[in-house]
Amino acid sequence: MASAQHKYLSIFVTEAREQLAQLEGELVRIETEAEGPAGALLWDSIFRKAHSVKGSAATLGLTELVALAHAAEALIFKLKTKAQKPERGQVEMLLQATDAIARLVGQAARQINVDAGDALPRPQLEGPPSVVGAELVERLAAAAQALPDPQPAARFRGIEARPAIDPALPRYQVVVQLSSKCQAPGARALIVQRKLKALGTLIDLEPTPAQLMQTKGAARLTADVASARSADELRLACASVPEVDSVTVSSTGNGVVQGGAGPGAAPPPPDLAAVKVDQSPPAPRAQVDGRGLRPEPTVRVKAESLDQLLDAAGEVLLGIARLREASRKLPESHAAAFETEVDRLRRTARELHNKVMGARLTPFSALTERLPRAVRDLSQRLGKEVDLIIEGAEVELDRAVIEAMGDPLSHLVRNAVDHGLESTAERAAKGKRPRGKLTLSARRERNYVVIDLSDDGRGLDGAALARKAIASGALSAEAAALLTPAAAVELAFLPGLSTRAEATDVSGRGVGLDAVQRSVEQLGGRLSLRSEVDCGARFTIELPLSVSMSNLLLVQAGGEVYGLPVARVLVTTEYDLSARGGEGFESRSVIVGGAWVTAYGLATLFGLPSLSPPGPRPFVVLEVDGVTFALAVDRLAGQEEAVIKPLAPPLDRVRGLLGTTVLGNGRPLLVLDPRGLAEMAGVHKGAALRAEHLPSRGAA
Amino acid sequence: MAKRVLIVDDALFMRNTLRDIFATAGFTVAGEADDGVQAVSLFRELKPDLVTMDIVMPYKSGIDATREIVQVDPGAVVIMCSALGQESLVMEAIEAGATDFIVKPFRGEDVLAVVKKVLGE
Repeated sequence: MASAQHKYLSIFVTEAREQLAQLEGELVRIETEAEGPAGALLWDSIFRKAHSVKGSAATLGLTELVALAHAAEALIFKLKTKAQKPERGQVEMLLQATDAIARLVGQAARQINVDAGDALPRPQLEGPPSVVGAELVERLAAAAQALPDPQPAARFRGIEARPAIDPALPRYQVVVQLSSKCQAPGARALIVQRKLKALGTLIDLEPTPAQLMQTKGAARLTADVASARSADELRLACASVPEVDSVTVSSTGNGVVQGGAGPGAAPPPPDLAAVKVDQSPPAPRAQVDGRGLRPEPTVRVKAESLDQLLDAAGEVLLGIARLREASRKLPESHAAAFETEVDRLRRTARELHNKVMGARLTPFSALTERLPRAVRDLSQRLGKEVDLIIEGAEVELDRAVIEAMGDPLSHLVRNAVDHGLESTAERAAKGKRPRGKLTLSARRERNYVVIDLSDDGRGLDGAALARKAIASGALSAEAAALLTPAAAVELAFLPGLSTRAEATDVSGRGVGLDAVQRSVEQLGGRLSLRSEVDCGARFTIELPLSVSMSNLLLVQAGGEVYGLPVARVLVTTEYDLSARGGEGFESRSVIVGGAWVTAYGLATLFGLPSLSPPGPRPFVVLEVDGVTFALAVDRLAGQEEAVIKPLAPPLDRVRGLLGTTVLGNGRPLLVLDPRGLAEMAGVHKGAALRAEHLPSRGAA
Repeated sequence: MAKRVLIVDDALFMRNTLRDIFATAGFTVAGEADDGVQAVSLFRELKPDLVTMDIVMPYKSGIDATREIVQVDPGAVVIMCSALGQESLVMEAIEAGATDFIVKPFRGEDVLAVVKKVLGE
């Protein structure tokens, strides 16, 4: 089929997906924002999206898609003309059409496999409803039919005022045969009409352009023209119009002089201005757009190219670090000059790296675009009323972060609607406003982007969570007794812990908040939770702006050097455990900042011999999930900024490893995953309790 | 001299498709615009022999852009690219000064037939 071979199919798919995602958001908004000039602009934008997808799809020969888009557009057009709040059912139908079109776009995409790396994953809260296209087209058409027809523009009704005819002019009958291939005879007739008017006085045209509107194919136009021009000129003028099969011009003899073109017979000026007098000056752009100023010009770049560019920029940085390392072997006389140059190069390379990172930034809206729709559908299904407020949609994050956050974020949103917010009745009983409020905001703080998701729902019950944790064996009763209410709430991050007795089909049972936390931490971020019963809950996700450059603490253990993300390191310290009984210090504790912290040997965790002589040795104190623990290492070997690369299979299954990087001296380095280490060591929540008054980096 | 064409459409897909059609037929694609505002400014700058103009576009519709282009140059050749079911918009565009129109979906030869005809070739 033609569409499979079209070389621009992938562009169509990308464009259509973008437009459909926006269309979806706008359809949800129109339910509440249909009125006034802003509503009119929103309707225009909705119409444009449906229309644009239809136009491209038609050129690709995607007939089923065109039929759907056309039916949707027709309904949108009537609603737009009505400029009123649409009914819920109408919006629902249009949303279904959007889904169905998206599925057809997906089908088209599969023919070329453009999915790989080309489109951002969209948070999907629910599976698409199954609606058969043809049936939907019918329903859309019926809905459009039920609405009154907009008033046809009066100016197409024909020749409004009979023009004054100079009786001295020759009269002609012009018969124009339009081709059977003619797609829009009304418009075609209008062009013929204009040609004739330019050459004389058009007295009559049958049928009028307005009468031909909505017809297709061949048509025969008969015009009565008074003109000083010759029959040939009239014929040639009409014959130069596309889709005209034949023209015959016959003199009807009313005129007095044949061909005597007097000075007064000059063709009247083109009547463009006469026809439309309502040429209001163009509105300023910001008003026309409805969303603000026209964006800067952009080009579309394959995400993969940006990734490769970033990799290359990272390699350049590494190469420069290697150069520096090598320069140490230079004689001193040359070293200084060389180092200056290398330093300059490094600054440029760093700038290049930052620029590439910047180019990869994607607005937060890529994640939130589809949430209003999802929340709307879900809350309707659950019989709840929810206001979703999104703030900071323009805040930019690295593409990789956006991609990785899609699922976790929709997870949290789904949880909030399903578990967090109460039903309307329950809220009324508690004296709360009937509509639940869900606020999703993003903001930039230094090198972090902070995403907050808060609801004013029932909140989490720390005490209940603690009881569950004890019952499931995840927490000892003693440890639970020591938990502050604020800390107890974060027990919800433990795997398999939910305060809801019954599982729902929406978000299952206690849906993997642990999984959400893991995703956030894999990006070098932190997830925290504040909640109070009946007041609501607030999840805070802190994410690094860039994921690829990380500060690493280099540590040596068992003869190997490893990297530890500095973001997880609370403090490093030195301690002489041998003073308290030699090397058998596993699961012993060290005092850090006045609190006891359990210590583990890094070498021992990996089954390597510790090469450290007895006596004082360094400890790295790490924090994971609010749990603090210490790692004994043989030596602290410095700090380095590095581009962490993910591990390839099968190494990615090795516990305790985060990724690899290459050091300045060219040696490969394994980067350790503090969370994995904590698991390997069997660190549990209880361990954190004694360290509670340690300075916590995350606590705001 | 190859005729110079300005392609105006908010969909990259359509622009590329039209560009190929014109390039194959020996035209020079002088420029591309993705909204009506850009179309008018590029027209002033490039003075193309021919403009293909999408109708439904952000910031400024193809109809308004056509009206302004014709004010700049009453002899401008502007061909509207319309989708099926847009006849009233096409007619509005013609009254605003558009020279002619093509209806999507179009084949290359349909486009070229209309273009050659209005250019008097």
